[in-house]
Amino acid sequence: MKNFVRFSVIKAFVLKELTELVRTKLIIMVYMMPSMVTILFGYGIAMDVTHSRISIIDNDNSKYSSELISKFSHSKYFDVTLTHESEAQALEKIKKAQSDIILIIPSSFEKNLLKGEKSELGVFIDAAFANRASTMQNYVQGVIQSAATTSAPMMTLNTRTLFNQAMRDEDAIVPGLIGLVLLVAPAILTALLIVKEKEKGTIFNFYASPIGKLEFLIAKLLPVLLLHSVNIFILFIWATYLFDVPFRGSFFLYWLSSEIYILISLSIGMLISIIAKRQIVAVVLTVIITILPAFLYSGMLMPISSMQGASWMEAHIFPVMYYNHILYDCFLIGQGFDSSKIVLYLFILVGYVIALLGLGALFLKKEMR
Amino acid sequence: MKSVFFTIVFKELKSFMRSAALVAVVLYSFTIDIYVAGEGIDIEPRNVAVGYVDNSSGGISKKILSNLHSPEFVAPVQFLSQKELSNAIYNKEIMVGLVFDNDFEKLYREKKNTQLNVLLDATSASQGFTTLMYLQSILFSFEDIQIPLDLKIHKLFNQNSDNKSFMALSELLSLITMLVVILTAIVFVKEKEDGTWDIMLLMPIDAKLTILAKTLSQVIIVMGGVILSLGFVIFNIFDTPMNGSFWSFIFLTFLYTFSSAGIGLFVAAIAKDVMQVAQFSIVIMIPLIFLSGAWTPIYTMYPFFQVLSFFSPLRYYIEGSESIFYRGTSFVDLYPYYFGVVILGFILYIIGFKKIGRLF
Repeated sequence: MKNFVRFSVIKAFVLKELTELVRTKLIIMVYMMPSMVTILFGYGIAMDVTHSRISIIDNDNSKYSSELISKFSHSKYFDVTLTHESEAQALEKIKKAQSDIILIIPSSFEKNLLKGEKSELGVFIDAAFANRASTMQNYVQGVIQSAATTSAPMMTLNTRTLFNQAMRDEDAIVPGLIGLVLLVAPAILTALLIVKEKEKGTIFNFYASPIGKLEFLIAKLLPVLLLHSVNIFILFIWATYLFDVPFRGSFFLYWLSSEIYILISLSIGMLISIIAKRQIVAVVLTVIITILPAFLYSGMLMPISSMQGASWMEAHIFPVMYYNHILYDCFLIGQGFDSSKIVLYLFILVGYVIALLGLGALFLKKEMR
Repeated sequence: MKSVFFTIVFKELKSFMRSAALVAVVLYSFTIDIYVAGEGIDIEPRNVAVGYVDNSSGGISKKILSNLHSPEFVAPVQFLSQKELSNAIYNKEIMVGLVFDNDFEKLYREKKNTQLNVLLDATSASQGFTTLMYLQSILFSFEDIQIPLDLKIHKLFNQNSDNKSFMALSELLSLITMLVVILTAIVFVKEKEDGTWDIMLLMPIDAKLTILAKTLSQVIIVMGGVILSLGFVIFNIFDTPMNGSFWSFIFLTFLYTFSSAGIGLFVAAIAKDVMQVAQFSIVIMIPLIFLSGAWTPIYTMYPFFQVLSFFSPLRYYIEGSESIFYRGTSFVDLYPYYFGVVILGFILYIIGFKKIGRLF
């Protein structure tokens, strides 16, 4: 084992790997996949529930009831259908997934209101999609409360929403997508680099040649790192120009942490590649251990501060959380290096790189097993 | 013919079982991975971290704060100044900050317009909104505002809005797609890489038979995983309700895995090596999962995406499975889903047969 690194050897290997990536047209994938995922999901994921299909059964047909209905039709959250079906028929429609909510206005609605008595509105919500159901329930309650409170409440909420003033879904999701893409894409590329040679038998060239372990690893990882570094800028352009996500922090921090994060992703892929004996195992394993955590612990679905117990621990074990914290800061908050927490997280990310690369070098054997 | 067919199926199953690592990875995905997905996440605001600065004399503010309780909120944390509070929000330790001004209590006692200042981390927009709704209704109930309407809300099919079982189920459905596509594609591409596929085609066996047998073997592997996962995780740990018929779900899953294997076949047709399979299948699967309605209901998508989603077999599968598990739709009413899955699968197989079933 040699302890020094010869740049001419590495250069030759890097050139070979790059040529291979270009020849197999994988280079297209390197740039297509991250952009495609960001654009599709950025446009597509709406966490907010709009256009819920609400069927209103108006048994009263009075002035008050139609006022209530117009409140619903004027809301962007609902698409109203007025029906004269029976309750059972409407329920059947929900069963066939043709409607989300049923609102039943009782026949004595106006009379009761005028008398000052309580009347009961029936609401049925399709709760198959649990979180959507609770959001829809909140919206229904909101519309009805605002329609029903005639006297203004004395205490009002003076809300200042921070970071995402317009409450845009894009602002909340797109930075998280960068965190997702930069974890999955480099990992899946490197995961096969070494195991491929094992399966084909070309790994013996490495065993037999005088190249050092360290040189071999650098030569394998460097081309992918270089190629994916460009994605940092491409994804930044999509986020800020296409999705109009504000960028309030330091670009240098964004770039630096992204490079480190790509290195982590590469090292995860490499570790898998070193341990796995067959390509199929490497592919499936990479997909399973990167995609799910990248979603769950991104903070996109659930703030880390709300996690408890096992999921809190897991969120802290995966590197996603630390990077996303920095990422959201760069885009939406803008504290930069002033925050001691961000500096700490940056060091934690560096720690991941060192630990993962160290493990890789440890497990990589330059001999036949 | 029959014996050839089953020989190939058994050969593939055997070679799957021989790779202990592969078996382990598949087992892991169908059990622990699904458990983690279900256990990890509540999309509704739960345990929202609240911080407050109380400059008022404290009687009413304490009463309001006492209304913030679990499961939605964790016990509020007191901060001494607004600066400390906003720092904690910047560091994502606190999601909602409440600031009670000096004159808060005085104004309230004098029955003047009182403001409660709320600082909200809106990085996750929908949770921010829902949290605001909670706060609003807490204030309503605190002020004892009478609303002349009673809402009787029935949540159908999943009364407790149990999000865990839903997340676990979604993860299972996505996982089935990923595994069956990747496994099938690699089974074929591996042979292409090694050159044994050409030999296979040269043999006096109908190529269609070989292809069907190979895909069937991967379908069997995934179906085995599904059953394990249903037994150990979905029903046992998460108590997912099963309002429809178990067998119609198994039947739908079988049809679906078979037609997704068609996607794998398509990937195998265009890929030259395993590396390309990995890249292609992700590029194909992500839109597929996205267009299925698993994340966003289809009718809220852009119209163009809505049209595209008709071509995602996963769309029919997810809608069908949701209906079986939660809505308890009867077998006969599920026919659109069966048809959707079968027709798309049929098209994919025809392309697959044409593309890799020929030698030249």
